[in-house]
Amino acid sequence: MTPETPETPNTEITHGVVLVPSVSHSLRAEKALANAGLAVKLIPTPRQLSSDCGTAIRFPWAARDAVQRVLDDAGLVYDRIVALT
Amino acid sequence: MSNKIIDARGLPCPQPVILTRNAMREADEVTTLVTGADQVANVRRLAEKAGWQVDVSEGAEGFSIALRRAGQAAAVAPEPEPATAGPGGPSVVAVPSDQMGRGEPELGGVLVRAFFHTLTEMEELPRAIVFYNTGVKLAVQGSPIADDLCALASRGVEVLVCGTCLGYYDLRDKVAAGVVSNMYTIAETLLRAGNVVSL
Repeated sequence: MTPETPETPNTEITHGVVLVPSVSHSLRAEKALANAGLAVKLIPTPRQLSSDCGTAIRFPWAARDAVQRVLDDAGLVYDRIVALT
Repeated sequence: MSNKIIDARGLPCPQPVILTRNAMREADEVTTLVTGADQVANVRRLAEKAGWQVDVSEGAEGFSIALRRAGQAAAVAPEPEPATAGPGGPSVVAVPSDQMGRGEPELGGVLVRAFFHTLTEMEELPRAIVFYNTGVKLAVQGSPIADDLCALASRGVEVLVCGTCLGYYDLRDKVAAGVVSNMYTIAETLLRAGNVVSL
């Protein structure tokens, strides 16, 4: 799965989020990414990305490749990796 | 007007922001020295909101934040941001436990983290946040919301942490953000609030 980049390339992207199917998936992803030394934060899923009451993992956008690698290597389930704009 | 240097290294949140704000009232250039990256973000936010130029450099003993008043910048640094007012007046958030709601502790921990992250993104803030009983565990070093609390305190939210509770849980030396408070102040703050939002 390739991280999604936004349609407006001029906007400076500082963070991205990992969207996951449930809170349990959030916690597992957060733990794996933090253990890998990545500066992650569990946040409510941004309104523009989902209308339900979910959680997501925010990370520095510069680390998106590392984030995807850690998640894939650990076999963790996630829906999407997207930029926060 | 002159150049002022504020050495805020090692000072707890929100002292670096308060000292910087005071210096910005008296000088055209202010250099603030801080230890942590979260403190850099809070001082930067204060200065940029006031229209000042910000230049950050990192050294062996922390960060140096050089602030310069821009041509059209306001003469006086801004006051803390306005508090949210409900029908009865300013809101106060009461935090009686380290979880939000009652139920599975793991879920309650997730919710409380999500709540405080969301607070940092809101335009209008509560006037105060009061932590007591196991809630004080959220205001100490290593807490998952320590950075959020620091950011809120730096924006003028009064963060009160129950001293009796810190003592009971042997956390008195570990406060990460806010003021160690007593029951008189806690009771006054709750009673004078227009609305109390309890987690």
